[in-house]
Amino acid sequence: MNENVLNAGRTGAAGAWLHRFANPGRFLRLVRPALPWLAVFSILITGTGLVWGYGFAPADWQQGDASRIMYVHVPAAWVAMAGYAALAGCSFFSIVWRHPLADLAAEEIGPVGAGFTFVCLVTGSLWGKPMWGAYWVWDARLTSVLVLFFLYLGHIALIRAFDNPAHGHRAAAILALVGAINLPIIVYSVQWWNTLHQGNTISFTGNSKIYITMLYPLLIASVGFYLCFVTLVCARMCAAIMERRTRGLLLAAADRGA
Amino acid sequence: MRAPKKRRLILLLVCGLCLSAATGLTLAAFSSSLTYFLSPREVLLKNPAPGVSFRLGGIVQVGSVNTVITDRMPTTTFRLTDGQASIPVTYTGLLPDLFREGQGIVAIGAMTPTGGFAAQEVLAKHGSTYMPKDVEQALQKAGKWNPKYGPPPPADTWNTMQVKGSNS
Amino acid sequence: MNFAPFINGSYGVTLVFLLGLGGLTFARYRRAVRRLRAVETREAAR
Repeated sequence: MNENVLNAGRTGAAGAWLHRFANPGRFLRLVRPALPWLAVFSILITGTGLVWGYGFAPADWQQGDASRIMYVHVPAAWVAMAGYAALAGCSFFSIVWRHPLADLAAEEIGPVGAGFTFVCLVTGSLWGKPMWGAYWVWDARLTSVLVLFFLYLGHIALIRAFDNPAHGHRAAAILALVGAINLPIIVYSVQWWNTLHQGNTISFTGNSKIYITMLYPLLIASVGFYLCFVTLVCARMCAAIMERRTRGLLLAAADRGA
Repeated sequence: MRAPKKRRLILLLVCGLCLSAATGLTLAAFSSSLTYFLSPREVLLKNPAPGVSFRLGGIVQVGSVNTVITDRMPTTTFRLTDGQASIPVTYTGLLPDLFREGQGIVAIGAMTPTGGFAAQEVLAKHGSTYMPKDVEQALQKAGKWNPKYGPPPPADTWNTMQVKGSNS
Repeated sequence: MNFAPFINGSYGVTLVFLLGLGGLTFARYRRAVRRLRAVETREAAR
Protein backbone atom coordinates (compact mmCIF):
# COMPACT_ATOMS: atom_id res chain seq x y z
CA MET A 1 0.00 0.00 0.00
CA ASN A 2 2.74 2.35 1.02
CA GLU A 3 4.57 1.48 -2.16
CA ASN A 4 1.55 2.40 -4.28
CA VAL A 5 1.33 5.83 -2.75
CA LEU A 6 5.03 6.44 -3.23
CA ASN A 7 5.03 5.35 -6.83
CA ALA A 8 1.78 6.91 -7.91
CA GLY A 9 3.58 9.86 -9.45
CA ARG A 10 6.41 7.86 -10.98
CA THR A 11 4.82 4.86 -12.66
CA GLY A 12 3.07 7.15 -15.11
CA ALA A 13 -0.40 7.12 -16.57
CA ALA A 14 -0.43 3.42 -17.44
CA GLY A 15 0.42 2.32 -13.93
CA ALA A 16 -2.09 4.67 -12.38
CA TRP A 17 -4.84 3.56 -14.74
CA LEU A 18 -4.06 -0.08 -14.09
CA HIS A 19 -4.18 0.43 -10.36
CA ARG A 20 -7.52 2.16 -10.54
CA PHE A 21 -8.92 -0.70 -12.58
CA ALA A 22 -7.20 -3.33 -10.43
CA ASN A 23 -9.78 -2.78 -7.74
CA PRO A 24 -11.91 -5.96 -7.54
CA GLY A 25 -14.90 -3.95 -6.34
CA ARG A 26 -14.76 -1.75 -9.42
CA PHE A 27 -14.38 -4.83 -11.63
CA LEU A 28 -17.48 -6.36 -10.07
CA ARG A 29 -19.50 -3.16 -10.56
CA LEU A 30 -18.36 -2.84 -14.18
CA VAL A 31 -18.66 -6.44 -15.29
CA ARG A 32 -21.71 -7.77 -13.44
CA PRO A 33 -24.28 -5.83 -15.49
CA ALA A 34 -22.58 -7.00 -18.69
CA LEU A 35 -22.68 -10.71 -17.79
CA PRO A 36 -26.24 -11.50 -19.02
CA TRP A 37 -25.48 -9.79 -22.33
CA LEU A 38 -22.18 -11.61 -22.68
CA ALA A 39 -23.93 -14.90 -21.98
CA VAL A 40 -26.70 -14.26 -24.51
CA PHE A 41 -24.28 -13.27 -27.28
CA SER A 42 -21.99 -16.21 -26.48
CA ILE A 43 -24.84 -18.68 -26.85
CA LEU A 44 -26.30 -17.07 -29.97
CA ILE A 45 -23.03 -16.69 -31.87
CA THR A 46 -21.57 -20.06 -30.86
CA GLY A 47 -24.87 -21.71 -31.70
CA THR A 48 -24.98 -20.05 -35.12
CA GLY A 49 -21.41 -21.07 -35.92
CA LEU A 50 -21.84 -24.67 -34.82
CA VAL A 51 -25.20 -25.21 -36.54
CA TRP A 52 -23.81 -23.65 -39.72
CA GLY A 53 -20.71 -25.79 -39.59
CA TYR A 54 -22.50 -29.02 -38.67
CA GLY A 55 -25.42 -28.77 -41.03
CA PHE A 56 -24.95 -26.17 -43.73
CA ALA A 57 -21.31 -25.57 -44.64
CA PRO A 58 -20.19 -27.52 -47.72
CA ALA A 59 -18.17 -30.71 -47.24
CA ASP A 60 -14.50 -30.58 -48.23
CA TRP A 61 -13.60 -31.97 -51.68
CA GLN A 62 -11.07 -34.37 -50.16
CA GLN A 63 -12.03 -34.95 -46.53
CA GLY A 64 -15.78 -34.97 -47.09
CA ASP A 65 -17.98 -34.39 -44.06
CA ALA A 66 -15.08 -35.09 -41.69
CA SER A 67 -13.95 -31.51 -42.36
CA ARG A 68 -16.90 -30.36 -40.24
CA ILE A 69 -14.83 -31.23 -37.17
CA MET A 70 -12.82 -28.13 -38.10
CA TYR A 71 -15.61 -25.86 -36.78
CA VAL A 72 -15.12 -27.11 -33.23
CA HIS A 73 -11.45 -28.12 -33.32
CA VAL A 74 -9.94 -24.90 -34.69
CA PRO A 75 -11.86 -22.42 -32.46
CA ALA A 76 -11.07 -24.57 -29.41
CA ALA A 77 -7.38 -24.53 -30.33
CA TRP A 78 -7.35 -20.76 -30.84
CA VAL A 79 -9.11 -20.10 -27.55
CA ALA A 80 -6.81 -22.54 -25.74
CA MET A 81 -3.77 -20.58 -26.95
CA ALA A 82 -5.34 -17.13 -26.45
CA GLY A 83 -6.37 -18.20 -22.97
CA TYR A 84 -2.82 -19.16 -22.14
CA ALA A 85 -1.59 -15.83 -23.53
CA ALA A 86 -4.09 -14.10 -21.24
CA LEU A 87 -2.87 -16.25 -18.34
CA ALA A 88 0.73 -15.26 -19.06
CA GLY A 89 -0.30 -11.58 -19.32
CA CYS A 90 -2.04 -11.75 -15.95
CA SER A 91 1.01 -13.44 -14.44
CA PHE A 92 3.21 -10.67 -15.82
CA PHE A 93 1.02 -8.00 -14.21
CA SER A 94 0.89 -10.05 -11.03
CA ILE A 95 4.67 -10.24 -10.72
CA VAL A 96 5.54 -6.71 -11.80
CA TRP A 97 2.64 -4.65 -10.45
CA ARG A 98 1.24 -7.08 -7.83
CA HIS A 99 -2.31 -6.72 -9.08
CA PRO A 100 -4.89 -8.48 -6.89
CA LEU A 101 -7.17 -8.66 -9.93
CA ALA A 102 -4.48 -10.29 -12.07
CA ASP A 103 -4.08 -13.08 -9.52
CA LEU A 104 -7.81 -13.52 -9.41
CA ALA A 105 -8.02 -13.70 -13.20
CA ALA A 106 -5.13 -16.17 -13.41
CA GLU A 107 -6.86 -18.45 -10.92
CA GLU A 108 -10.09 -18.47 -12.93
CA ILE A 109 -8.57 -18.62 -16.45
CA GLY A 110 -6.71 -21.86 -15.70
CA PRO A 111 -9.61 -24.36 -15.52
CA VAL A 112 -11.48 -22.75 -18.45
CA GLY A 113 -8.38 -22.76 -20.66
CA ALA A 114 -7.59 -26.34 -19.70
CA GLY A 115 -11.11 -27.31 -20.73
CA PHE A 116 -10.78 -25.72 -24.16
CA THR A 117 -7.39 -27.41 -24.62
CA PHE A 118 -8.97 -30.74 -23.72
CA VAL A 119 -11.74 -30.18 -26.29
CA CYS A 120 -9.09 -29.30 -28.88
CA LEU A 121 -7.17 -32.51 -28.15
CA VAL A 122 -10.23 -34.77 -28.17
CA THR A 123 -11.78 -33.32 -31.34
CA GLY A 124 -8.39 -33.41 -33.03
CA SER A 125 -8.03 -37.06 -32.11
CA LEU A 126 -11.50 -37.81 -33.48
CA TRP A 127 -10.51 -36.00 -36.67
CA GLY A 128 -7.17 -37.78 -36.95
CA LYS A 129 -8.56 -41.32 -36.91
CA PRO A 130 -10.73 -41.10 -40.05
CA MET A 131 -8.34 -38.82 -41.97
CA TRP A 132 -4.79 -39.76 -41.03
CA GLY A 133 -5.53 -43.27 -39.83
CA ALA A 134 -4.39 -42.68 -36.24
CA TYR A 135 -5.96 -41.14 -33.13
CA TRP A 136 -2.64 -39.81 -31.94
CA VAL A 137 0.88 -39.30 -33.30
CA TRP A 138 3.85 -37.76 -31.54
CA ASP A 139 4.53 -34.98 -34.01
CA ALA A 140 5.61 -31.50 -32.96
CA ARG A 141 2.15 -29.87 -33.17
CA LEU A 142 0.27 -32.52 -31.20
CA THR A 143 3.00 -32.86 -28.61
CA SER A 144 3.29 -29.10 -28.02
CA VAL A 145 -0.49 -28.81 -27.54
CA LEU A 146 -0.36 -31.70 -25.07
CA VAL A 147 2.38 -29.78 -23.25
CA LEU A 148 0.02 -26.77 -23.19
CA PHE A 149 -2.63 -28.95 -21.54
CA PHE A 150 -0.17 -30.10 -18.88
CA LEU A 151 0.97 -26.50 -18.30
CA TYR A 152 -2.66 -25.57 -17.62
CA LEU A 153 -3.05 -28.53 -15.24
CA GLY A 154 0.20 -27.65 -13.49
CA HIS A 155 -0.95 -24.05 -13.09
CA ILE A 156 -4.35 -25.11 -11.70
CA ALA A 157 -2.63 -27.31 -9.11
CA LEU A 158 0.19 -24.93 -8.21
CA ILE A 159 -1.95 -21.83 -7.66
CA ARG A 160 -4.01 -23.76 -5.08
CA ALA A 161 -1.13 -25.71 -3.54
CA PHE A 162 -0.01 -23.26 -0.82
CA ASP A 163 -1.56 -22.37 2.51
CA ASN A 164 -0.63 -18.77 1.86
CA PRO A 165 -2.45 -17.79 -1.36
CA ALA A 166 0.17 -15.15 -2.18
CA HIS A 167 2.85 -17.85 -2.44
CA GLY A 168 0.61 -19.88 -4.75
CA HIS A 169 -0.01 -16.87 -6.95
CA ARG A 170 3.70 -16.10 -7.20
CA ALA A 171 4.74 -19.68 -8.02
CA ALA A 172 1.93 -20.17 -10.53
CA ALA A 173 2.72 -16.86 -12.23
CA ILE A 174 6.33 -17.95 -12.76
CA LEU A 175 5.14 -21.29 -14.19
CA ALA A 176 2.72 -19.50 -16.53
CA LEU A 177 5.42 -17.11 -17.78
CA VAL A 178 7.98 -19.88 -18.33
CA GLY A 179 5.32 -21.93 -20.12
CA ALA A 180 4.49 -19.04 -22.45
CA ILE A 181 7.54 -20.01 -24.49
CA ASN A 182 5.41 -22.96 -25.66
CA LEU A 183 2.97 -20.66 -27.52
CA PRO A 184 5.26 -19.69 -30.42
CA ILE A 185 6.39 -23.32 -30.56
CA ILE A 186 2.77 -24.45 -31.07
CA VAL A 187 2.13 -21.81 -33.72
CA TYR A 188 5.30 -22.40 -35.74
CA SER A 189 5.68 -26.15 -35.12
CA VAL A 190 4.07 -26.93 -38.48
CA GLN A 191 6.55 -24.66 -40.27
CA TRP A 192 9.75 -25.47 -38.39
CA TRP A 193 9.48 -29.24 -38.50
CA ASN A 194 7.91 -31.94 -40.64
CA THR A 195 4.62 -32.79 -38.97
CA LEU A 196 1.70 -35.05 -39.79
CA HIS A 197 -0.58 -32.20 -38.75
CA GLN A 198 -1.44 -29.92 -41.64
CA GLY A 199 0.07 -26.45 -42.01
CA ASN A 200 -1.83 -23.27 -41.21
CA THR A 201 -4.95 -22.71 -43.35
CA ILE A 202 -5.88 -19.30 -42.02
CA SER A 203 -3.45 -16.48 -42.68
CA PHE A 204 -3.80 -13.00 -41.26
CA THR A 205 -1.28 -11.50 -43.67
CA GLY A 206 -1.99 -13.38 -46.91
CA ASN A 207 -4.85 -15.32 -48.45
CA SER A 208 -6.50 -18.03 -46.40
CA LYS A 209 -6.55 -21.40 -48.12
CA ILE A 210 -10.21 -22.02 -47.44
CA TYR A 211 -13.31 -21.41 -49.53
CA ILE A 212 -15.43 -18.51 -48.34
CA THR A 213 -18.55 -20.56 -47.48
CA MET A 214 -16.38 -22.64 -45.14
CA LEU A 215 -14.52 -19.61 -43.77
CA TYR A 216 -17.65 -17.79 -42.53
CA PRO A 217 -18.90 -20.50 -40.16
CA LEU A 218 -15.33 -21.01 -38.93
CA LEU A 219 -14.95 -17.33 -38.07
CA ILE A 220 -18.40 -17.14 -36.45
CA ALA A 221 -17.72 -20.24 -34.35
CA SER A 222 -14.36 -18.74 -33.34
CA VAL A 223 -15.92 -15.44 -32.25
CA GLY A 224 -18.49 -17.49 -30.32
CA PHE A 225 -15.82 -19.58 -28.57
CA TYR A 226 -13.85 -16.44 -27.63
CA LEU A 227 -17.04 -14.92 -26.21
CA CYS A 228 -17.77 -18.12 -24.27
CA PHE A 229 -14.28 -17.98 -22.81
CA VAL A 230 -14.61 -14.32 -21.80
CA THR A 231 -18.07 -14.88 -20.34
CA LEU A 232 -17.03 -17.93 -18.34
CA VAL A 233 -13.90 -16.25 -16.97
CA CYS A 234 -15.73 -13.01 -16.09
CA ALA A 235 -18.56 -14.89 -14.36
CA ARG A 236 -16.07 -16.99 -12.39
CA MET A 237 -14.11 -13.88 -11.40
CA CYS A 238 -17.28 -12.11 -10.22
CA ALA A 239 -18.26 -15.22 -8.25
CA ALA A 240 -14.78 -15.41 -6.72
CA ILE A 241 -14.89 -11.74 -5.68
CA MET A 242 -18.29 -12.22 -4.05
CA GLU A 243 -17.16 -15.44 -2.34
CA ARG A 244 -14.18 -13.56 -0.92
CA ARG A 245 -16.39 -10.76 0.30
CA THR A 246 -18.73 -13.27 1.98
CA ARG A 247 -15.76 -14.95 3.66
CA GLY A 248 -14.49 -11.58 4.86
CA LEU A 249 -17.84 -10.63 6.36
CA LEU A 250 -18.20 -14.01 8.07
CA LEU A 251 -14.69 -13.79 9.49
CA ALA A 252 -15.34 -10.27 10.79
CA ALA A 253 -18.59 -11.47 12.38
CA ALA A 254 -16.80 -14.42 13.96
CA ASP A 255 -14.11 -12.09 15.33
CA ARG A 256 -16.73 -9.83 16.88
CA GLY A 257 -18.56 -12.82 18.27
CA ALA A 258 -15.45 -14.32 19.84
CA MET B 1 17.66 3.12 -6.26
CA ARG B 2 15.09 2.07 -8.84
CA ALA B 3 11.44 1.67 -8.04
CA PRO B 4 10.74 -1.98 -7.14
CA LYS B 5 8.22 -2.28 -9.94
CA LYS B 6 10.71 -1.19 -12.54
CA ARG B 7 13.33 -3.53 -11.08
CA ARG B 8 10.91 -6.47 -11.24
CA LEU B 9 9.97 -5.54 -14.79
CA ILE B 10 13.58 -5.46 -15.97
CA LEU B 11 14.38 -8.66 -14.09
CA LEU B 12 11.43 -10.40 -15.73
CA LEU B 13 12.36 -9.20 -19.21
CA VAL B 14 15.97 -10.38 -18.77
CA CYS B 15 14.74 -13.77 -17.51
CA GLY B 16 12.39 -14.02 -20.48
CA LEU B 17 15.17 -13.20 -22.91
CA CYS B 18 17.50 -15.82 -21.41
CA LEU B 19 14.74 -18.43 -21.37
CA SER B 20 13.84 -17.76 -25.01
CA ALA B 21 17.47 -18.00 -26.04
CA ALA B 22 17.94 -21.25 -24.14
CA THR B 23 14.76 -22.76 -25.60
CA GLY B 24 15.65 -21.62 -29.11
CA LEU B 25 19.11 -23.19 -28.90
CA THR B 26 17.70 -26.42 -27.45
CA LEU B 27 15.08 -26.70 -30.16
CA ALA B 28 17.65 -26.02 -32.86
CA ALA B 29 19.93 -28.69 -31.38
CA PHE B 30 17.18 -31.30 -31.22
CA SER B 31 15.62 -30.25 -34.48
CA SER B 32 16.22 -33.58 -36.20
CA SER B 33 14.44 -35.58 -33.49
CA LEU B 34 11.52 -33.14 -33.43
CA THR B 35 10.91 -33.86 -37.08
CA TYR B 36 8.14 -36.38 -37.44
CA PHE B 37 9.37 -37.94 -40.68
CA LEU B 38 12.30 -38.05 -43.08
CA SER B 39 11.92 -37.18 -46.74
CA PRO B 40 13.24 -39.63 -49.38
CA ARG B 41 16.19 -37.32 -50.06
CA GLU B 42 17.13 -37.25 -46.37
CA VAL B 43 16.81 -41.03 -46.24
CA LEU B 44 19.17 -41.48 -49.20
CA LEU B 45 21.66 -39.10 -47.54
CA LYS B 46 21.48 -40.69 -44.08
CA ASN B 47 21.14 -44.22 -45.38
CA PRO B 48 19.48 -45.84 -42.32
CA ALA B 49 20.46 -49.46 -41.68
CA PRO B 50 17.92 -52.08 -42.82
CA GLY B 51 15.57 -53.12 -40.05
CA VAL B 52 15.88 -49.84 -38.09
CA SER B 53 12.40 -48.35 -37.77
CA PHE B 54 11.76 -44.76 -38.86
CA ARG B 55 9.07 -42.67 -40.52
CA LEU B 56 9.27 -41.86 -44.20
CA GLY B 57 7.17 -39.01 -45.59
CA GLY B 58 6.54 -37.85 -49.12
CA ILE B 59 4.12 -37.67 -52.01
CA VAL B 60 2.69 -40.82 -53.61
CA GLN B 61 4.24 -40.76 -57.09
CA VAL B 62 1.69 -40.66 -59.90
CA GLY B 63 1.41 -43.95 -61.79
CA SER B 64 3.43 -45.91 -59.24
CA VAL B 65 0.57 -47.43 -57.21
CA ASN B 66 0.02 -51.14 -57.67
CA THR B 67 -2.21 -53.33 -55.50
CA VAL B 68 -2.19 -57.13 -55.40
CA ILE B 69 -4.71 -59.01 -53.28
CA THR B 70 -3.53 -62.29 -51.78
CA ASP B 71 -5.60 -64.16 -49.17
CA ARG B 72 -8.03 -61.21 -49.13
CA MET B 73 -5.28 -58.89 -47.87
CA PRO B 74 -4.21 -56.14 -50.26
CA THR B 75 -0.50 -55.55 -50.69
CA THR B 76 0.22 -52.17 -52.19
CA THR B 77 3.48 -51.01 -53.71
CA PHE B 78 4.09 -47.38 -54.56
CA ARG B 79 6.94 -44.88 -54.72
CA LEU B 80 7.22 -42.01 -52.25
CA THR B 81 8.86 -38.92 -53.67
CA ASP B 82 9.80 -35.42 -52.55
CA GLY B 83 10.46 -34.22 -56.07
CA GLN B 84 14.17 -34.95 -55.83
CA ALA B 85 14.40 -38.59 -54.82
CA SER B 86 11.97 -41.47 -54.54
CA ILE B 87 11.86 -44.71 -52.57
CA PRO B 88 9.73 -47.80 -53.33
CA VAL B 89 7.37 -48.69 -50.48
CA THR B 90 5.52 -51.95 -49.81
CA TYR B 91 2.54 -52.11 -47.45
CA THR B 92 0.16 -54.93 -46.62
CA GLY B 93 -3.16 -53.85 -45.19
CA LEU B 94 -5.96 -51.36 -45.68
CA LEU B 95 -4.84 -47.88 -46.68
CA PRO B 96 -6.43 -44.72 -45.20
CA ASP B 97 -9.34 -43.22 -47.17
CA LEU B 98 -7.28 -40.25 -48.25
CA PHE B 99 -4.59 -42.38 -49.91
CA ARG B 100 -4.33 -41.45 -53.59
CA GLU B 101 -1.74 -40.54 -56.19
CA GLY B 102 -0.27 -37.14 -55.40
CA GLN B 103 -1.28 -37.35 -51.71
CA GLY B 104 1.16 -36.70 -48.88
CA ILE B 105 1.81 -39.90 -46.92
CA VAL B 106 3.82 -40.85 -43.84
CA ALA B 107 4.87 -44.51 -43.80
CA ILE B 108 6.20 -46.11 -40.61
CA GLY B 109 8.55 -49.04 -41.11
CA ALA B 110 12.13 -49.86 -42.03
CA MET B 111 14.40 -50.19 -45.05
CA THR B 112 14.84 -53.64 -46.56
CA PRO B 113 18.26 -54.92 -47.67
CA THR B 114 17.21 -54.33 -51.30
CA GLY B 115 16.77 -50.58 -50.81
CA GLY B 116 12.99 -50.58 -50.54
CA PHE B 117 10.88 -49.50 -47.58
CA ALA B 118 8.66 -52.02 -45.83
CA ALA B 119 5.83 -50.09 -44.16
CA GLN B 120 4.10 -51.36 -41.03
CA GLU B 121 1.66 -48.47 -41.00
CA VAL B 122 0.63 -45.81 -43.51
CA LEU B 123 -0.80 -42.43 -42.42
CA ALA B 124 -2.30 -39.87 -44.79
CA LYS B 125 -1.09 -36.28 -44.49
CA HIS B 126 -3.70 -34.01 -46.00
CA GLY B 127 -2.95 -30.47 -47.09
CA SER B 128 -4.13 -27.25 -45.50
CA THR B 129 -6.52 -26.37 -48.33
CA TYR B 130 -10.28 -26.53 -47.81
CA MET B 131 -12.76 -26.16 -50.67
CA PRO B 132 -16.06 -27.74 -51.71
CA LYS B 133 -16.06 -30.47 -54.35
CA ASP B 134 -17.66 -28.14 -56.94
CA VAL B 135 -14.80 -25.68 -56.66
CA GLU B 136 -12.22 -28.42 -57.01
CA GLN B 137 -14.05 -29.80 -60.06
CA ALA B 138 -14.27 -26.33 -61.59
CA LEU B 139 -10.54 -25.77 -61.09
CA GLN B 140 -9.79 -29.14 -62.68
CA LYS B 141 -12.11 -28.42 -65.60
CA ALA B 142 -10.47 -25.05 -66.16
CA GLY B 143 -7.10 -26.79 -66.21
CA LYS B 144 -5.88 -24.73 -63.25
CA TRP B 145 -5.21 -27.62 -60.91
CA ASN B 146 -4.90 -31.35 -60.88
CA PRO B 147 -4.58 -32.71 -57.32
CA LYS B 148 -2.33 -35.46 -58.63
CA TYR B 149 0.32 -32.99 -59.69
CA GLY B 150 0.99 -30.71 -56.80
CA PRO B 151 -0.63 -28.14 -54.54
CA PRO B 152 -3.60 -25.97 -55.56
CA PRO B 153 -3.09 -22.56 -57.18
CA PRO B 154 -2.82 -19.42 -55.00
CA ALA B 155 -5.83 -19.15 -52.68
CA ASP B 156 -7.00 -15.77 -53.95
CA THR B 157 -7.72 -17.30 -57.38
CA TRP B 158 -10.38 -19.64 -55.96
CA ASN B 159 -11.40 -18.91 -52.37
CA THR B 160 -14.21 -16.58 -53.44
CA MET B 161 -14.74 -18.10 -56.91
CA GLN B 162 -18.39 -18.26 -58.01
CA VAL B 163 -19.38 -21.84 -58.71
CA LYS B 164 -22.86 -23.16 -59.39
CA GLY B 165 -24.08 -25.22 -56.45
CA SER B 166 -21.40 -24.22 -53.93
CA ASN B 167 -23.34 -21.37 -52.37
CA SER B 168 -24.67 -23.40 -49.45
CA MET C 1 -15.26 -45.40 -43.42
CA ASN C 2 -18.31 -43.88 -41.78
CA PHE C 3 -17.42 -40.42 -40.52
CA ALA C 4 -20.66 -39.77 -38.61
CA PRO C 5 -19.53 -41.13 -35.20
CA PHE C 6 -16.40 -39.01 -35.34
CA ILE C 7 -18.25 -35.84 -36.34
CA ASN C 8 -21.06 -36.39 -33.84
CA GLY C 9 -18.52 -37.30 -31.17
CA SER C 10 -16.57 -34.08 -31.73
CA TYR C 11 -19.65 -31.88 -31.60
CA GLY C 12 -20.96 -33.88 -28.65
CA VAL C 13 -17.79 -33.43 -26.61
CA THR C 14 -17.73 -29.71 -27.40
CA LEU C 15 -21.38 -29.18 -26.46
CA VAL C 16 -21.08 -31.21 -23.26
CA PHE C 17 -18.05 -29.14 -22.29
CA LEU C 18 -19.58 -25.74 -23.11
CA LEU C 19 -22.97 -26.49 -21.56
CA GLY C 20 -21.44 -28.32 -18.60
CA LEU C 21 -18.95 -25.62 -17.71
CA GLY C 22 -21.56 -22.95 -18.42
CA GLY C 23 -24.00 -24.64 -16.07
CA LEU C 24 -21.42 -25.13 -13.31
CA THR C 25 -20.28 -21.52 -13.62
CA PHE C 26 -23.88 -20.26 -13.52
CA ALA C 27 -24.60 -22.36 -10.42
CA ARG C 28 -21.46 -21.10 -8.69
CA TYR C 29 -22.27 -17.50 -9.60
CA ARG C 30 -25.84 -17.75 -8.30
CA ARG C 31 -24.67 -19.39 -5.08
CA ALA C 32 -22.09 -16.64 -4.57
CA VAL C 33 -24.74 -13.93 -5.09
CA ARG C 34 -27.18 -15.65 -2.72
CA ARG C 35 -24.65 -16.24 0.05
CA LEU C 36 -23.30 -12.69 -0.13
CA ARG C 37 -26.81 -11.24 0.00
CA ALA C 38 -27.72 -13.46 2.97
CA VAL C 39 -24.62 -12.47 4.93
CA GLU C 40 -25.02 -8.79 4.06
CA THR C 41 -28.65 -8.64 5.18
CA ARG C 42 -27.75 -10.48 8.42
CA GLU C 43 -24.93 -8.01 9.07
CA ALA C 44 -27.20 -5.05 8.28
CA ALA C 45 -29.84 -6.36 10.70
CA ARG C 46 -27.40 -6.27 13.60
